[in-house]
Amino acid sequence: MMRQLSLFILLPLLFACAPERDYVPRVVDGDADRGREALARYECGVCHVIPGVADAVGKVGPALDHYSRRSYVAGKFPNEPDMLVRWIVDAPAMAPQTAMPAISMSEQDARDMAAYLYESD
Amino acid sequence: MRPPHPASALDPASGSGAELIDQLGTALYVGSGLIFLVVMALVIYAVLTKGRPVNARYWILGGGLAFPAFTLTVLLMYSLAVGNGLNAIGSSSALQLFLDCFGLGDARARTTVDDVLRIHVVGKQWWWEVRYERAGQSEPVVLANEIRMPTHQAVELVLSTTDVIHSFWAPSLAGKVDMIPGRTTHLRLQTSEEGTFRALCAEYCGGQHALMALFVVTQNGDDFDAWLARQQTSVVEPVDPFLKIGYDAFFRGECHSCHTIRGTPADGTSGPDLTHVGGRKSLAAGTLNNHIGTMAGWIAGAQDVKPGNKMPSSLAYSGVELRALSAWLGSLQ
Amino acid sequence: MSSGASPELPNSLPRPAGEFDRLRAVWERPKGWRVLTQVNNTAIGLWYIGAALLFLVLGGILALIMRTQLAVPGNNLVDADLYNQLFTMHGSVMMFLFAVPVVEAIGILLLPAMQGARDLPFPRLSAYAFWAYFVGGLVFFTTIFFDLAPDGGWFMYPPLTSYEFSPGLRTDFWLLGIGFIEISAIAGAIEIVVGILRTRPPGMTLDKMPIYLWAMLIVGAMIIFGFPPVILATALLELERAFHWPFFLAERGGDPLLWQHLFWLFGHPDVYIIFLPAAGLVSMMVATMAQAPLIGYRWIVVAMLATGTISFALWVHHMFATGMPHLSLSFFSAASMAVAIPAGLQVFSWIATLWRGNVQRATPTYFLLGFFGVFVLGGLTGVMLAVVPYDWQAHDTYFVVAHLHYVLIGGMLFPVFAGIYYWAPMISGRHLSERMGKWACAIMFIGVNLAFFPMHIAGLLGMPRRVWTYAEGYGLEPYNLLSTIGAFLFAAGIGIVLLDLMLHFRPAGKVDTNPWNAGTLEWLPQDEYAIRSVPFIDSREPLWNRAALRQEVDAGQHYLPGTMTGGRESIVTSPVDARPEYLLRLPGSSWLPMLAGVGTAVFFLALTVKWMIVAIAGALVALGSILMWLWDSDPAPSGKLFDVGGGLSLPDYMSGSRSHSWWSVVVLMLVDGSIFACLIFSFLYLWTVTLSGFPPESLDMPLVGSSVAALIAWLVVAGALFAANRALGASRRRGVIVALLIALVAIWLAFGASLHALMGTNLRPHLHGYASTAYTMVAWQGLHAVLLTLMVGFSVARLSLGMIDSVRRNVFDNTRIMSYYCAAQGVVALVVMHSPRLG
Repeated sequence: MMRQLSLFILLPLLFACAPERDYVPRVVDGDADRGREALARYECGVCHVIPGVADAVGKVGPALDHYSRRSYVAGKFPNEPDMLVRWIVDAPAMAPQTAMPAISMSEQDARDMAAYLYESD
Repeated sequence: MRPPHPASALDPASGSGAELIDQLGTALYVGSGLIFLVVMALVIYAVLTKGRPVNARYWILGGGLAFPAFTLTVLLMYSLAVGNGLNAIGSSSALQLFLDCFGLGDARARTTVDDVLRIHVVGKQWWWEVRYERAGQSEPVVLANEIRMPTHQAVELVLSTTDVIHSFWAPSLAGKVDMIPGRTTHLRLQTSEEGTFRALCAEYCGGQHALMALFVVTQNGDDFDAWLARQQTSVVEPVDPFLKIGYDAFFRGECHSCHTIRGTPADGTSGPDLTHVGGRKSLAAGTLNNHIGTMAGWIAGAQDVKPGNKMPSSLAYSGVELRALSAWLGSLQ
Repeated sequence: MSSGASPELPNSLPRPAGEFDRLRAVWERPKGWRVLTQVNNTAIGLWYIGAALLFLVLGGILALIMRTQLAVPGNNLVDADLYNQLFTMHGSVMMFLFAVPVVEAIGILLLPAMQGARDLPFPRLSAYAFWAYFVGGLVFFTTIFFDLAPDGGWFMYPPLTSYEFSPGLRTDFWLLGIGFIEISAIAGAIEIVVGILRTRPPGMTLDKMPIYLWAMLIVGAMIIFGFPPVILATALLELERAFHWPFFLAERGGDPLLWQHLFWLFGHPDVYIIFLPAAGLVSMMVATMAQAPLIGYRWIVVAMLATGTISFALWVHHMFATGMPHLSLSFFSAASMAVAIPAGLQVFSWIATLWRGNVQRATPTYFLLGFFGVFVLGGLTGVMLAVVPYDWQAHDTYFVVAHLHYVLIGGMLFPVFAGIYYWAPMISGRHLSERMGKWACAIMFIGVNLAFFPMHIAGLLGMPRRVWTYAEGYGLEPYNLLSTIGAFLFAAGIGIVLLDLMLHFRPAGKVDTNPWNAGTLEWLPQDEYAIRSVPFIDSREPLWNRAALRQEVDAGQHYLPGTMTGGRESIVTSPVDARPEYLLRLPGSSWLPMLAGVGTAVFFLALTVKWMIVAIAGALVALGSILMWLWDSDPAPSGKLFDVGGGLSLPDYMSGSRSHSWWSVVVLMLVDGSIFACLIFSFLYLWTVTLSGFPPESLDMPLVGSSVAALIAWLVVAGALFAANRALGASRRRGVIVALLIALVAIWLAFGASLHALMGTNLRPHLHGYASTAYTMVAWQGLHAVLLTLMVGFSVARLSLGMIDSVRRNVFDNTRIMSYYCAAQGVVALVVMHSPRLG
């Protein structure tokens, strides 16, 4: 009985001690704080769940949590900073069948957003 | 710092009814603040002192009866003056309206404006239909969730509802008036300021009451006339092949059974008129900014954005169709 | 007994052996499970307050969830659907399950003590009201756990809450769920009004009543006239929802604004029903804490009467934005401002009293200071809202949320908490913790201001009420965050008070303490039987004017030092000058009130979910229990006079207009008549707003022949009762029974003919507002036909068993006046129904 009990107490600690991911992608010139603000401003949350962004509970596209641990962008492209920035700026140019439209924005905004997605994890 | 779309009774547009009410409010805040401080000082002093003699008549009749009776009488007259003045706004300050009661100021021009522009606003769960019916107007102008009006001219909103009670409130422009089934109510708007002001539903109207806003855009008379003329134009079938995909998707997806787009076969009436949807400030009644991303997100995820609203989340479209449809609707400026 | 002038007391010492033991024995508290059978006001009052505090905590938890959701914009802790249930339940729980019950509960606990009565005149009615409220309220609250909680707002505006836009059970839970709360509020009001008017101590004339009695008397009257509009409104909305009878549907001759008129005709007086008792408590505490008689006693009474009256004339200030003409609004604006005058008058009386006195620095004083600060600010924002143009901005925004919380928390919660610290020693014999009390008061005061002051600003910045989320970028963020922090702080303060109560409050049997040196009777030595003997009262502060009074009373030297009839009893005095009239024999412990209360709650709740068999079972249990307890409620007179001391001999029975039973039926008829008057108002209101004919051309008017027949039948009812009365006076028992049976037949003929007047035409209740109100009037007669059948049957049964005669006749008299009332009501209904013929 005591052992089971202690296991319950230890279990959350185990998760808390899960090894840090060894690789955090860096976006050149990307600022996560500005990125969060940009994600809110462009209302990306209409389609995506984005932790930390107000009202971002959309179910149209995939959830964007734990983005640094994802292997692929949109299930197709290696999850590297430049690839993600290109995707945010103009997804249809990379995958013509995608439902994600190209929203007119500056590349700087896209860099910031990518930075937030990687760093907010 | 002023927000981009003022929506505050404390930040009224110049020359608006809200400005008069704000002046009245300032008088109330100052007066109440003083009374509050005096009463509190009396209470604290009364607790701290010991056994002072009291003239009951002085306290009760003076402080409790004469003072409030006098103050409230003045306040009532002041408020009546302002309330009446709101029907002929734009000419006076709140103080001036009050002084007029005693014949101290210039006699106020009480003439009701004849060339008042009437705009019909219909509250619906949870959006607003806006109609312009002007003599000599060729096509009906029906839009949603956005009112445009000229500056320096009295506008009368004719308010009604097709379902439950709503209330129209543009805090920076005027007070609120309810929209009640079986009745039409009226609200006078006027301002000399060009800008975009936010308005919201102020009467609880069910599930998504919180997401029922609209924008009031005030423009100078020329710009307004040009806008109204443009609103009367109809839509033609697009030639661009990508937009044509969107056009076809619109009809394939049954959108037309609820929405009207003049110039096309779409003539549904239960949802907003989309003839010039691309030119509007917002989607989903002031909930989202209007751009291609939010358009696509709203079409595909209307029930995620505003659960319980009458528009279903459209699941019938391929990615390309969704983008094309959003692009085509966005092009209807 | 003027102070000290005459040393001769009604009863001499030593008291006979066994007198005290007998008194204690009849009032002894039952043990074990049977504690639940208690009906004594000291037990019921405490349970009632405890239950109300439980609902305060539950409603408060809902508020904290809402505040957490609103702490930041765009939050998704709860969704719109749950949020709407939360704010509806918060408002409904706080108003119907906390605020109104707690002020009635405090009255039930304190009133008998303040007026030297052994109990209230109808102890079982209080017990019944408590059980119906407690069980019904708890079950109602649990709907939030099953996604079944109402979501139309506590104000329930149709058409949003009608069948089209709110299908499902949620709204029904609200409508039927508050049915039992209305019943228990009315029961409490009857108890309080009759109690104050008829069970005061000898000599306590109206102008010597403690000011709290005045407050509760006025409040009782306000409940009698203030609750009927909402009782009717909920009934009409339920009829509309269940059977599609249009009352509030504009397309079929109804009007959504009718609901708003009825609801606020209740809702606004309700605010003063909550505030005035608290103001009464404040007056009592201010005088004691300042150790000075209340300055301006008469002015305060006038002020409270004025408040009560004006409060029925300002309901429209909740409707300033409905587009009514400015001129008609200005009348209600003036009335709304005018109600500030009596409030100001009271505030200045209190300040003057504090000024004159030497104020004791203790927890009740600090809570009273909190009351002044919070309530005065709430009052001032109330005046702002009375300004029509200003209200057009502030209405339905967080400004109003701030205002109403300032008024209700300042005007009611702070005084009640002051009262908890002030009166706790009266029950438990010792103080609550002064240290915890002061901390709680400080934290609550900071919390309430931090929570609610920013809401004024948020509202003016454009934040409407009843929103589950708000947009970023409009400057609302800091104010909402402050409000959330303040709300939790405020809750912590309340938590400290509740902890203090749990740690330090234990009801004691015998309590002999007057810690604040108060002047009123509740601080005489108290036990289960209340006070040992009842003194003659010749001043407003008897304990201040006669130092020996405590000792004399406890020694049994004043009136009624023991039990005269061998059971529980209290002195009934005349309503104005408090001359002793007779001994009221009070019922003792019983399971019946609890069974009746639980049965009532089960009936309403089962009806909501349409478990008809359970509902019928609940109704039968309730009805059976009530009939069983009523069977004992008119005990046979002994025919003797009982010497209660000082040469004062009182009978143990009274009939006619001097009996407490007659008074209670009259009060009930006032409630009944008010409901009916609201129905007439609804009819006339719909007539005036309906432009397309009332009824429209396509519908007939009721049949004249059947209507005349019904009219005659009602006259026969009245005539038969008149004849029965004569026969009873002449002791012709058979004649009485025959007349009563004739009346019974005529009642049903009247109802049947009225119904035929409608059914015989093309009028159907779902067609038009005219038909729905006309059918409702007839249905109302049907309800009364059932009631009269029970009453007449009850009387006939008792007549046959010889339990009614020319002396013992209260049961018959109640039946008689109720029948007269029903006949008059039936006639008025028929006339009103045909009145559109004139138009």
